[in-house]
Amino acid sequence: MARKDLLDIASLHREEIEFLLDQSTSFKKLFTRSVKKIPALEGKSVLMLFYEASTRTHSSFEVAAKRLSAEVTNFDVAHSSITKGESVRETIETLQAMRTDYIVVRHSHPGLPGMIARQTTASVINAGDGAHEHPTQALLDAFTIKEKFPDPRGKRVLIIGDILHSRVARSTSTLLQKLGVEVAYLGPGSLVPKYVPESIRRFTDYEAAMAWAPDVVYLLRVQMERQDVQFFPSVREYHRVYGITTARLAEIRDKGLYIMHPGPVNRGVELCDAVMDYERSLITNQVENGISIRMAVLDWLTPGGDFPKQEAYNAQQKASSPVIVP
Amino acid sequence: MLLLQNARIASENSPVLLESDVLFVEGKIQDIGSGLAVPKGARVIDARGRVLMPGMFDAHVHFRAPGFENKETITTGSEAAINGGVTGVVMMPNTRPAIDSAAVVATVLENAKHRSRIPVYTSGCVTKNRDGKELAEIEGMHRLGVTMLTDDGDTTNDPAVLLRAMQYATEFGMFFASHCEVPELAGPRALNEGVMSYRLGIKGSPACAEEIIIDRDIRLARAAGAHVHIQHVSSKEGMETIRWWKSRGDVKVTAEVAPHHLLFTDEHIGDYDTNYKMNPPLRTQADCDALLEGLKEGVFDLIATDHAPHTPFEKAQDFVSAPNGITGLETALVSLYHFFVRPEKFGWDLVVKRYSAEPRRLMGLPIPTIEVGQPAECILFDTEAETTFTQDFMKSKSQNTPFIDQTLKGRVDLVILGSEILLER
Ligand SMILES: [Zn+2]
Repeated sequence: MARKDLLDIASLHREEIEFLLDQSTSFKKLFTRSVKKIPALEGKSVLMLFYEASTRTHSSFEVAAKRLSAEVTNFDVAHSSITKGESVRETIETLQAMRTDYIVVRHSHPGLPGMIARQTTASVINAGDGAHEHPTQALLDAFTIKEKFPDPRGKRVLIIGDILHSRVARSTSTLLQKLGVEVAYLGPGSLVPKYVPESIRRFTDYEAAMAWAPDVVYLLRVQMERQDVQFFPSVREYHRVYGITTARLAEIRDKGLYIMHPGPVNRGVELCDAVMDYERSLITNQVENGISIRMAVLDWLTPGGDFPKQEAYNAQQKASSPVIVP
Repeated sequence: MLLLQNARIASENSPVLLESDVLFVEGKIQDIGSGLAVPKGARVIDARGRVLMPGMFDAHVHFRAPGFENKETITTGSEAAINGGVTGVVMMPNTRPAIDSAAVVATVLENAKHRSRIPVYTSGCVTKNRDGKELAEIEGMHRLGVTMLTDDGDTTNDPAVLLRAMQYATEFGMFFASHCEVPELAGPRALNEGVMSYRLGIKGSPACAEEIIIDRDIRLARAAGAHVHIQHVSSKEGMETIRWWKSRGDVKVTAEVAPHHLLFTDEHIGDYDTNYKMNPPLRTQADCDALLEGLKEGVFDLIATDHAPHTPFEKAQDFVSAPNGITGLETALVSLYHFFVRPEKFGWDLVVKRYSAEPRRLMGLPIPTIEVGQPAECILFDTEAETTFTQDFMKSKSQNTPFIDQTLKGRVDLVILGSEILLER
């Protein structure tokens, strides 16, 4: 069951998911001990390659790696003027020469971690690639949900917000569906694509979505910086139409729904301040579970050995999908 | 002197292949008939079972010179054309400098004369430096033989600029080739908006970005009394729009379709395979089916490849960073045969009409046929042999094609131009 890389949720098998969630449970037990470190990855090196800023995911991976006794290096992306794909390839060659064991990568271009994975012996973990995938976020979300619903089959999760630009929505919905959870999207028509998979319910009306009777309401961060064009008229209007307002929180409390958010939260946009004190908010649980999930992932992957070079990979892609039969 | 014995002759006018001997003397077709006597000193080739047809003509290629000679040159591009059975091409002007003045046209054509074994024509830009603002030096280019104006690679986005260009250039008998996409809708990434763009997390370009400009440019042409040629149509609705305008008959519209838009869908992009990244993007099976119908019906006057070479280094980047475009000159004819003629979706007559005769008609060039007295410009195609598109096979500087290392049925065996054999396998 060994894998070199974790690039997406789509290709993960159910058994692999169950295994990672189980492992995460074991690792989480360590947290209550006074010595939180174990020597699982002693002598191994983890390289953090973050082309997009992210305090939360970055530090979560760093803590996870250190608790496994790995050495953590930060590749100074910000100061190396690397932004374009061409330079990324040169960086990969450098990284391969450094023989690092793990590369945790975040980049705004979808598919880029996969490209790195095909050209290095290191285990590559996708820490978010554009609007494509964010697999460890999905795993920690599933883990957090399973803590509340040990058998999550048939439970309903309503994901609210900018689906179009959200890798979290894609990865988490894919993973939850693999666990038998029903998923629906809610957001402005300009941000919930018409062509989401048929297995996902699509709402643009808050009342209709609530009538679907979700167990968990999962709020996505409104990424203002990603809005190269205007997708909704104003933040105020967004909060009123799709946000958890004080009035809506009362209804959610009455129904006993859980609230999740991948963070960092825009208060007054996705949710009102009061949500932060809501007893069924799982937002801090998600942060905590991020560490044990990432420990499980690092411990699970097997770096080194042969790596499928880009050329070999291309050939294999071709072989597995013969040109076409019109 | 060259005698081809028992070749099966294809023409645009007949779905039936006529088996016959063909005698070439001094660059002309001297005689056609069965059991022709072998003249003294003639070379004889047994062409039994093989198809003889006029050389193809590609009205949409990028030879990247001047400015991007690392991707392609006029020499490598025209050799690629010959390799694919193509004996004439029209280059697009999105070079650096752009082909937007008489001076650049003169240089390019001079180069072509010395560096190519086949006729290479060029189109000229509608606007200076293709920036969509000021009209290019249109009459100057026309004097050097340019008839097609296009800002290909982009739409001439300001309709007022394009309308003025149309009003001006039509007076010289020039016509406009339109790359159709609203840039504000299409965005920078060449991927169809749909299930696949959602899955890959790339904001897609909706088909309406193409439909709007197709309609707009035909309306502008109608207003200006111009001839507009719609390039590389990718969508069903785009095809329908052209069909509707053609049925009205009050504006001169021609259109082209590329083999890759008939053959591939966005599903082929799979795990970010950049050999399927092109502009306009690959769409859905329904679009492919509609485009094929449009081709058979004649909504599309011609097939053109949009041969767009890029270096391996550029294409080996991630999907977002990699440039748009695939090469097509070397794979077009074989793939048309393999996927359409062989399974009898259409006949050789359509191939000859749409990929040899019509593009030359568009350019106002003489049309080669396999008839007595005609200049020799033809190819011999083996329908039973195979072609494997290896790196060694390819003559283009770049091999960015989904067909790389694929084997297809059919092979271009012989390319004859005048008294020369340009290619023989
Ligand atoms: Zn174009």
